[in-house]
Amino acid sequence: MGHHHEDFRLNTPDLRELNKKLDRRHFLTKTSLGLGSLALGSLLGAGKLLADTGAKPAVALSDEDLQRQILDSLPHFAPKAKRVVYLFMSGGPSQFETYDYKPKLADMFGQDLPASVRGGQRLTAMSANQSIFPIVPSIYKFDKHGQSQTWVSELLPYTAQVIDELCIVKSLCTDHINHDPAITFFQTGHQLPGRPSIGSWLSYGLGSDNQNLPSFIVLVSKTGGDQPLYARLWGNGFLPTQHQGVQFRSGKDPVLYLNNPEGYDGHDRKEMLDYLSKLNKMQNEAIGDPEVEARIAQYEMAFRMQTSVPEVMDTSDEPDSIFDMYGPDSRDTGSFGANCLLARKLLEKDVKFVQLYHQGWDHHGGLPNGIKGQCKRTDQPTAALIKDLKQRGLLDDTLVIWGGEFGRTVYSQGKLTADNYGRDHHPRCFTMWMAGAGIKKGFSYGETDDFSYNITQNPVHVHDLHATLMQQLGINHEELTFKFQGRRYRLTDVHGKVVRDILA
Amino acid sequence: MVKYLKITFLFWLSTTMLACDPALSPEVEAVLATLPSELDYNVHVKPILSDKCFACHGPDMKKQKAGLRLDLAEVAYAGLKESKGKVAIDPGSLSGSEVFHRITSTDPEVVMPTPESHLTLTDYEKAVLIKWIKDGAKYKPHWAFVKPEMPKIPDVEKEDWVKNPIDNFILRQLEEKKLAPAAQADKETLLRRVTFDLTGLPPTIAEIDAFLNDKSPTAYEKVVDQLLKSPHYGERMATDWLDLARFADSHGYTVDRLRDMSPYRDWVIKAFNQNQPYDQFVHWQLAGDLMPKPTKEMLIATAFNRNHQQNMEGGIIEEEFQTEYVIDRTNTLGDAFLGLSVGCAKCHDHKYDPISQKNYYQLYSFFNNVREAGQISWDDAMPTPTLMLPTTVQEKVIQFINNNLTQELNKQTTIQKNGEADFDKWLQGQQYKLLVATAYPQEGLLAKFNFDKSGLKNEVNPQEVAFTTTQDGKEPEVFEVGKTGRGLKINGDAWLQLDKIGVFRKSDPFTVGVWVHVPHEFKEGVIFHRSIAERLYNFRGFHLLVRKDGTLEATMAHTAPSNAFTKVSKIKIPKGNWIHLAMTYDGSSKAAGMAIYLDGKPLEMNTEIDQLTKDIFFGQRVAKEQPPLQFGAWWRGFGLKDGLIDDIMVYNRRLSAFEVGLLAEKNSWETIASKSPVTLTLSEKQTLRNYYFGAEHLASRQQAQIIKALRNTLADSTENIRELMVMQEMPKPKQAYILERGNYDALGGKVFPNTPERIFAFPENLPKNRYGLAQWLTHPDHPLTSRVVVNRLWQNLFGAGLVKTAEDFGNQGEMPSHPELLDYLATTFVKSGWDVKKLMKTMVMTATYQQDSRTSKEKMALDAENRWLSRGPANRLTAEMIRDNALAASGLLLKNIGGKSVKPYQPEGLWAINNTTYKPDSSEVVYRRSLYVVIKRSVPHPTLGTFDGVSRSFCVIRRQKTNTPLQALVTLNDPAFLEVSKVLGEQMSKETDSKTAIIKTYRKLTGKTPTAKEVALLMNFQSRELEKFKQNPQKTKGWLSAGYYQIDKTLNPGLLASNAVVANMILNSDAALTKR
Repeated sequence: MGHHHEDFRLNTPDLRELNKKLDRRHFLTKTSLGLGSLALGSLLGAGKLLADTGAKPAVALSDEDLQRQILDSLPHFAPKAKRVVYLFMSGGPSQFETYDYKPKLADMFGQDLPASVRGGQRLTAMSANQSIFPIVPSIYKFDKHGQSQTWVSELLPYTAQVIDELCIVKSLCTDHINHDPAITFFQTGHQLPGRPSIGSWLSYGLGSDNQNLPSFIVLVSKTGGDQPLYARLWGNGFLPTQHQGVQFRSGKDPVLYLNNPEGYDGHDRKEMLDYLSKLNKMQNEAIGDPEVEARIAQYEMAFRMQTSVPEVMDTSDEPDSIFDMYGPDSRDTGSFGANCLLARKLLEKDVKFVQLYHQGWDHHGGLPNGIKGQCKRTDQPTAALIKDLKQRGLLDDTLVIWGGEFGRTVYSQGKLTADNYGRDHHPRCFTMWMAGAGIKKGFSYGETDDFSYNITQNPVHVHDLHATLMQQLGINHEELTFKFQGRRYRLTDVHGKVVRDILA
Repeated sequence: MVKYLKITFLFWLSTTMLACDPALSPEVEAVLATLPSELDYNVHVKPILSDKCFACHGPDMKKQKAGLRLDLAEVAYAGLKESKGKVAIDPGSLSGSEVFHRITSTDPEVVMPTPESHLTLTDYEKAVLIKWIKDGAKYKPHWAFVKPEMPKIPDVEKEDWVKNPIDNFILRQLEEKKLAPAAQADKETLLRRVTFDLTGLPPTIAEIDAFLNDKSPTAYEKVVDQLLKSPHYGERMATDWLDLARFADSHGYTVDRLRDMSPYRDWVIKAFNQNQPYDQFVHWQLAGDLMPKPTKEMLIATAFNRNHQQNMEGGIIEEEFQTEYVIDRTNTLGDAFLGLSVGCAKCHDHKYDPISQKNYYQLYSFFNNVREAGQISWDDAMPTPTLMLPTTVQEKVIQFINNNLTQELNKQTTIQKNGEADFDKWLQGQQYKLLVATAYPQEGLLAKFNFDKSGLKNEVNPQEVAFTTTQDGKEPEVFEVGKTGRGLKINGDAWLQLDKIGVFRKSDPFTVGVWVHVPHEFKEGVIFHRSIAERLYNFRGFHLLVRKDGTLEATMAHTAPSNAFTKVSKIKIPKGNWIHLAMTYDGSSKAAGMAIYLDGKPLEMNTEIDQLTKDIFFGQRVAKEQPPLQFGAWWRGFGLKDGLIDDIMVYNRRLSAFEVGLLAEKNSWETIASKSPVTLTLSEKQTLRNYYFGAEHLASRQQAQIIKALRNTLADSTENIRELMVMQEMPKPKQAYILERGNYDALGGKVFPNTPERIFAFPENLPKNRYGLAQWLTHPDHPLTSRVVVNRLWQNLFGAGLVKTAEDFGNQGEMPSHPELLDYLATTFVKSGWDVKKLMKTMVMTATYQQDSRTSKEKMALDAENRWLSRGPANRLTAEMIRDNALAASGLLLKNIGGKSVKPYQPEGLWAINNTTYKPDSSEVVYRRSLYVVIKRSVPHPTLGTFDGVSRSFCVIRRQKTNTPLQALVTLNDPAFLEVSKVLGEQMSKETDSKTAIIKTYRKLTGKTPTAKEVALLMNFQSRELEKFKQNPQKTKGWLSAGYYQIDKTLNPGLLASNAVVANMILNSDAALTKR
């Protein structure tokens, strides 16, 4: 009982090999980016306060020891995914105009949504006080695609081509109906600021497979628009600061202060750092503080980043066929298209977690036009990323996730006309998809009622999504914990079930 | 069956082996042998029980498994409810203690902790529990919940090392551990340490030289006294406090707009500089408004409880976030003052500490009585309640206008007194008989809409046409049978907008009357209003609406709920027939100046708040045109669904009660007009008098215009007065409830203000409000407050607290390294009158503090973390210190104290993720100290954030200390640091030789004179750089151009650049970045 993961914990040759290869047992790699980023003091047998001088082995575990033990046990089982790319569609894309086909609505245009369907669901302060809730069917047509014969809206012709790679989950649900709490919840497992984000947990738990790049990188489409984002969405919360997501920005300074002073090139910098290193060592001769050694290493890492980041950001060597595949925007730095291409490059370098944010899905009004534009900007690059990862053999161990913080209402917010309407936030059901890394292909999971208002089959809560994501990375979501203010925290709080039905 | 056998077997085992101890695993045996002969419950046992057992067998009543709790001796020793005849702990007997069997079992069905918990006991932990049970399982109260007593100052061998009693405590431990203290740090190092620690700034070269030259035994003490007197002391102390007080310049959630709370920061700096006793410092912040005769400063201090994040997102639910704010205050109380994570008890009883969920909401109820908005106003108005902070000039102007206004109001009384003769003349002239000519008053009539022949046209001015509309555009109007003729049907979403009629300010008297048909099914919604939306703009404007309970609410607001007046009817609105409603208002900005009439009779109303100070107009950013009167619905709010309205009348004066009766068809002039002046009754005369002075008497009407103009001037002069969010208690406390699972909408039982009894019960003589709570905290018997604060101050000097988990003094927190010292500090601090400067001085005067921070490998192995303080503290400078050190060394730093936040340079586009643009300041304020740098919670300042500065979204007691490559990039390439390097480079270029230049710069940045070896290295580097720049002048560009500072163009650019590189290199070296 309660030992569902026990089978995986056997020290099989596979797992041993894996551990050796990934050098998981070596604590220092856990803290990349990178070498020695924890205060060294804590690595040198910290917290042994209770060790009375005589008793050598008999000590209580300090919090640091405890954390080390937790990290040393990773991975809990052989991972399917080595890396993740999460395409976050900020604002909450409508399921009605994308993946959740609701043909019966066609005959109900403008009718007041029965209160029985709403079932007391709390509404946002934007539409809660409306006198009627007029039903609005999608203005866009749906067709079946692929061998899986999955319904996809006409707005997503490119994604429709790769539909057999995807696992569409139509039964996501969340607890929150407003952007800030909902996005924060999706990215950190809690609606209030202060918890570590998904990528931070992964960076903390799994470390980095690349010594020259951060393990958690964030790309934000430059188009911006409606709902704002906040750095805490990729924040480290109470985990050590080095696990926060590093935003790679378009333009000449992709990482903050990456560029040397104008005119001062890499050789000059190298020379200066050599002297700096000598100076630090001289100063440390009298001090003997390992922290100084750690800082010297950080300066070396910073120097490596100065080369490796511009290298990876530079897509000019990509062939035209690649740009054609990702679409016209992909040559426009900072666009979603360009970011998808960049994401692929980062994944190739084994960056653990790449998170793309694309804003502009919050269609309270003027949805038909709004969502059309959003799909046009994102559909082709998204499909291209899937194809590109696949043709490079990366899709097998890369988990791709697409989705927003909630769905939209079946009823129109504000005025409904024949060709225009809006939809309010809807937390009770919405669609996301996943692909790659041990996820079933050409598969649909979960069902909603005729109004896509309630889930009728297989609900998947945000915590479940997190649990599943971690599962694919070889982490038992209940066991990757961090003790803070006396309490053990984890990404899934005290909830979350792995959605085994969607695992291949 | 197997399970049953197993348990029986164990039972048999445990009963047959009565006297002799059961066999233990060799590993546990091995550990047992190494345990100290006497275990201490608090030190050794409880941390294990708490961490591994309390989750299921601790204070959380709902989670207690098998009815067992191990945090209380009486329960642990008693018979187990679910296993007859067994006890969890039988003191002295392993075999008799079920705990023993469970923790040593290998059976997954039996072993504790359960496999599901993902917790396991180490051999050490098992051994401790086993020995403890064997030794008699003695419980002790949690050390931190017992009042600290002044301990005996320990004797030490090396007495001459001791400078004050703190050293006795430290040295005693060192001697016991056979660790020798380090020598005193050299003077340069010590001066830099203490100057940073007490002012956050580096010492200047002159200060260093003065100290080096002062050979007197009191040289150090003199420096310490000077530093404590420096105004920068307050800045340094404030920086830590602002982390705790979650002070920021933006609201935090979603759009995260800026707000100015800097008067609070100024107050904190001042309070530290004036050495306000800590107990008073706490009282003012928690309850300044509730203390006797609060001063302006005491009110400013209460901003502490409004520093939390606030949400402007359009769709949020008011109660959800209003609840969140109260929760934040409650949690902050726990973290900041109690050193307890009370927030854990929000959803359930605390799992580790004796704080029940009920206790939590009792604390919560202290902070729940503020009239505030959950969704703050979208127009950037300061969320209410606020304190007005006029400048001296503004204050004088306001006083001047108010004096004038009083005079003019008195004058009006006189005019009307003197006007009695005119009234009499008018009466005798029987001019009132003319009033019957029209059914309703004509004077001041702005609009009349009866929806009949004229449709939506204003009968008074047919050019003005009303229309029905929603936010999405106009909608067709629907007419049905009205009060008379046609009426307008309301669907609840579209409102009737009266063209541009009714754009009243708070100084304008007016009257609005309307016939309304309220359907039986109607629950709540607006009748009419003058606003853009409802809570989205915090009800700016005025409105008449029906509340959920059926009562009528009239509000006029600048920013509801607290910069407004609100009156509520005692009766419910009648439904199912036509009623007449009218609002009359006299322009006074007071609740008393507004009346609501139902069918011509004034309604009895309760005033909920009466403090409208600013105008009800929108700023230009929000509205190009001020919204006019609207009927039946509003954007995003409930409307008068399926209701009807008819015969709208709008006047630009306050109608008398009799006149309102005319509109409501309850009165007519007929009876009065038919009478001769002599036959008029007294009350009829009074009616006519009211009418006369309101509508006819020229002098009164002229005077009314003067008053209105003055009130407008007052409103204009008030508009730009700065406001600060502060605490203000509602006259009648709001009922608080336990919130089930912490959800705002799941009300449990009622709760009232109280404190957790098992930590420290609330004394009966204290008031059950925030002031009582503040006094509870600083009560001489309180076990936590003084320990928590001295520990935090210790942490700020030594890098770690005596209790390392400075934010957690509970069962899960670490034990203090020096419990007696902590109690010594806590008790002497209280005895000193909570004297912070005295405590700071005592700590920095110790031999302990003054030790050299260097150590040998051997000592390092014994005291890696320096918990025993066998050496002085060494820590990387904080984010603020790193920037301030650079600015100070270059001489760019501006040293003025206090004021608004500033925006130094930062890379373009960082705020774009939050849809805003960062515009750096263009003046020398970019060189102000880092504690004045603007903090936008959603996007941390890149320099400060990279060096572990906190987001200020919630209370933080202990910053992280990391060391990352991103930090290297900041000090190498951030233009702010390049500018400093450039300025230093310029100074160096003016020196006679490079050696002197290098030594000076080194001293400015590190406070130390470099060794000859270091100088040689730097000189060598400088000459190589100089040569390089000579060959390639283009390489100097970035070094010479960063920042606003303009370099002396007459200097050799190659030389300047090479010096700048050297300065930058020193700035990036350990000696600059670390405080040793």
